[in-house]
Amino acid sequence: MEERKDHLWKVAQEVEDRLDEMEKAGAAPAGIDVGTSKVVAARKRAKGIETASQLNAFIPIPYSRFTETILGQNDISYFREGDELVVFATATEKFANMFNAEVSRPMSDGLINPREKMALPVLEAIIGSLLPKAKTQGEILAFSVPAAPAGKEAELTYHEATLRRHFEAMGYKAVAINEGLAVVFSELEDNNFTGIGLSCGGGMCNGTLAFLSIPSIMFSIAKGGDYIDHAVGSVVGESATRVKVIKEEGIDLSRSPKDKVEKALHIYYEDLVESLVEALRRAMSRAEKMPKSDRPLPIVIAGGSAKPRGFKELFERALKGRGLPIEISGVRLAGDPLTATARGALIAAMYEK
Amino acid sequence: MEEVSREIQDPVAKLRFLRTSLRDYPRVSEVEDVPSGRARRILYRWASFEHLRALSAKAPVAAFAPAVPRKTLVTRAAAALTLLLAAGRLLMGLAALVVVFAVGSAAYRHARPSATPVLASVPGAATHAPAVPPRAGVAPASVWLVEMGAGYEQYSNGLRIENTYEIAGEPRRFRAVDRTTGLRGDTQTRPVGILFHTSESDVWPLEASYNETLRDSTQRLLRYVQRNRLYNYMVDRFGRVYRVVEEETKANHAGHSVWTRGDDVYLSLNAAFLGVSFETRWEGGHALPITQAQFLAGRNLSDYLRARWTIAADMCVAHGLTSVNPKKHLIGHHIDWARGFPFEAFGLPDQYSRPSPAVALFGFGYDEDFLKIMGEPWAGVREAERALAEEAAKAGRTVEDLRRERQQLYDRWLNEQSQADEATASGRPEPALPAGG
Repeated sequence: MEERKDHLWKVAQEVEDRLDEMEKAGAAPAGIDVGTSKVVAARKRAKGIETASQLNAFIPIPYSRFTETILGQNDISYFREGDELVVFATATEKFANMFNAEVSRPMSDGLINPREKMALPVLEAIIGSLLPKAKTQGEILAFSVPAAPAGKEAELTYHEATLRRHFEAMGYKAVAINEGLAVVFSELEDNNFTGIGLSCGGGMCNGTLAFLSIPSIMFSIAKGGDYIDHAVGSVVGESATRVKVIKEEGIDLSRSPKDKVEKALHIYYEDLVESLVEALRRAMSRAEKMPKSDRPLPIVIAGGSAKPRGFKELFERALKGRGLPIEISGVRLAGDPLTATARGALIAAMYEK
Repeated sequence: MEEVSREIQDPVAKLRFLRTSLRDYPRVSEVEDVPSGRARRILYRWASFEHLRALSAKAPVAAFAPAVPRKTLVTRAAAALTLLLAAGRLLMGLAALVVVFAVGSAAYRHARPSATPVLASVPGAATHAPAVPPRAGVAPASVWLVEMGAGYEQYSNGLRIENTYEIAGEPRRFRAVDRTTGLRGDTQTRPVGILFHTSESDVWPLEASYNETLRDSTQRLLRYVQRNRLYNYMVDRFGRVYRVVEEETKANHAGHSVWTRGDDVYLSLNAAFLGVSFETRWEGGHALPITQAQFLAGRNLSDYLRARWTIAADMCVAHGLTSVNPKKHLIGHHIDWARGFPFEAFGLPDQYSRPSPAVALFGFGYDEDFLKIMGEPWAGVREAERALAEEAAKAGRTVEDLRRERQQLYDRWLNEQSQADEATASGRPEPALPAGG
C-alpha cells in the first residue's frame, strides 16, 4: 500500500521527535555542520540548544514495489532514482552491514564529491531531513566549511557555493563559518574565544587558532575517520564499513590492542594524530602574523574521530614531541564532540542575526 | 576588554561585544598618543581596553604587533578628545546592547511570529474542536453544478472547484468485510467516506509580502500531489479547492487504516474513501491549523461530496483517527487531525468520542512516541479500551490475550485483502478465501 505523503516530511525514526521540537522553535537562526561522515543541525530553543544528526551516506538498492513498501513501513529515509531506491542517512549503515557492502558518501575529504553523481540529491535530502525550510525568508543559517586543503582551493569554492545556494533556495540567508572557528565558538567561550579549536571529522581534520574570536591561523589535513577505516580495512581484509562499526563500538586507545584490527586502529590513529600536530606546528611556523599572547592558549578537540577513549592523551603525547611556537595551557575534549561544530555554527548564526 | 567580556554570560552577546570592540580598536589605539600616563590608564580603564594597548591599529587580527609610532602634542590632544567621545559611545553601546538582548529574548519567547495563521487557539492539550464560524444566511436546498468553465466548476453552495490539475487514478474497487462473519462483501466502486488530511508541507506566513512564495509553494505541492496521486482534493491556504485525482478513482492517501460502519469493516481506505487534504501543518492540533478561507471551502467541499456520493456523516473522519501501523499493531501511524478537526462545524458527528475501531475490533495499542505527541489518546480510544477490558473480564481472559487474538484477526483479514488486491491488479481472479471470524 503506497503512502507517498511520507516523502513530504518523513525522516528516520530516531531523530523524528527531536526534529519536531526543533521545528517548533520556529523562525530562529540555525547552525549546521556539513561533515563528510555526519550532518549535524543545531537550533536554539527555550530550554537550550537542540541538535539532531544524520549519517551523511547512502546506498542504492534495486527498485521493487515490495522493497519500497518495506522501506516505507519501517520509516527508512529513501527516494527513488530511476531503477534504484536510494536509502540515505542513518539506515544506510544497517543496510551496508546487512549486505556486506560499502556505503557511498556524497562527500569526500571534507568536500562535496564531484565524481559522485548522487552527491547533491543525497546531501540535499539529508539536509532536508534535518532542517525545515526557513519559515520566514532570510532566516540566518551558518554552515561549516573546512579550511582549504592544499591544492583543493577550487573544490572548496565549489563546495561552499553549492551549499550556500541550496540553503538560500531553502529560504535562508546562509553564512559560512570555518570548522575550527566553530569549535572555538562553542567550546572556548570562557577563554573569550581565544585558543585553538580542532575538529577531527570523517574526511579531514581542521584547526583554527583564534584570538578574541578572530581567526588567525587556519589549516586542514585530508585525513580523518574515513582514512583510518580504509587503511585499517585494507591491512586486515575487512570492509571499511565494518571497521567503522568496530571502531565505534568502543576502541580504547589508552589500552594495549587485543587483536589485529585494534592493533591496526592504534597505528592509524597515531598516524592521524601525528599528522595533525605536525600540520598545526607547520601552520604556526609559517604564519606571517603570529599572535603573541602573554598567556598560554588552550586546545579543544571536537569531532567524531576524537571520541575514542585515550585520544586526548595520544594527542598530548604527540604535542610534547613537537615544540610549538606558543605555550599551550592544556588540551581537552569538547563537551559533546559530535555536535560542537554545529553548536558553534549556531552561535555564529545568532551573532549574524 | 577581556575583563568586561568575561562578565558577559551569553556567548552571542560576548561575541558581539568582542567583535564590536575590535572593530572600533583603531580609535582606541589613539590612547597611545595621550601625553599623560595616568590619563592613558584612566582612559584605558574607562573604555575597558586595558588589555588592548599592544594591539596593532592596522591589523587587529595580528593581536600583539609592535606599538604605533608617537605623534605630535596637538594630535595627542585631539586623540584624547576623540577617545573620550569613543568611550562614551562604547558605554552607551553596551547599555543599548543589554537592552536589545533583554528585549530580544523577551520578544523571542513571547512574540515569536507564527508562520501558521490560526483561526482560534485552544490552550494546553485540549481535545475539543476550536471555536469556528457558524453557518449563517440562506443555504441552497441542495448542491448542484451552477456553471462550468475552462478550468473550474461552480456549485450552488459557493464551492468552486479548480480542475486544471485533475488526473485519473487507479479504478476504485473495494470490498468491506463483515465483522460478524469475516466474509467479504460485494465489490464496490463508489466512495463511501471522506478522509481529511493535512499536507504537512511548507507553510508560509499569510501576508501580502509572501504572496509569490505562497503561490509557488502551492503550485509545487499540487504538482507533487498530482505526480503521486496523493489526494482527490486539496484546499490551498487561500481556500481554493483543487480536484487532483478524479473522484471516481482512488488516490494514495490513506495507507494502512481502519474504519467501520455498522458491521462493515474497511481496511486500507484508499479505495473506499475520498481523500481531502488541507495545505497546512497539523502542529499538534491545539489550534485550528487552517485559514478561515480553507475552513469555509473545506466545509462546502464536504457538503458537496456527501451530497454527490450519498456519504453518511459517520463515514467522514480524520486520517489520524484511522491510520495504523500493521506491523506493530499500533494506532496513530499518521496523526494528522488526530485532534482538533472541527467536525461539529462541518455538520459531522464528533469522531473523537467514537470508540476507535482499530482498538475495539483489532486490539491495536499505542506507544510512547504516540503519547509524546498526543499527551493522551482521544476519548474514543479510551472508550474502546474500556470495552475491550469488559469483554476480556466477561470471558475470563486477560486483555493482552484478547488483544493478541484480535490482532491476528486483523493480520488475516489484511492478508486476504492484499492477496485479492494483487490478483485484481494482475488481472487474475481473486483467490477463494476461507471465511474469517
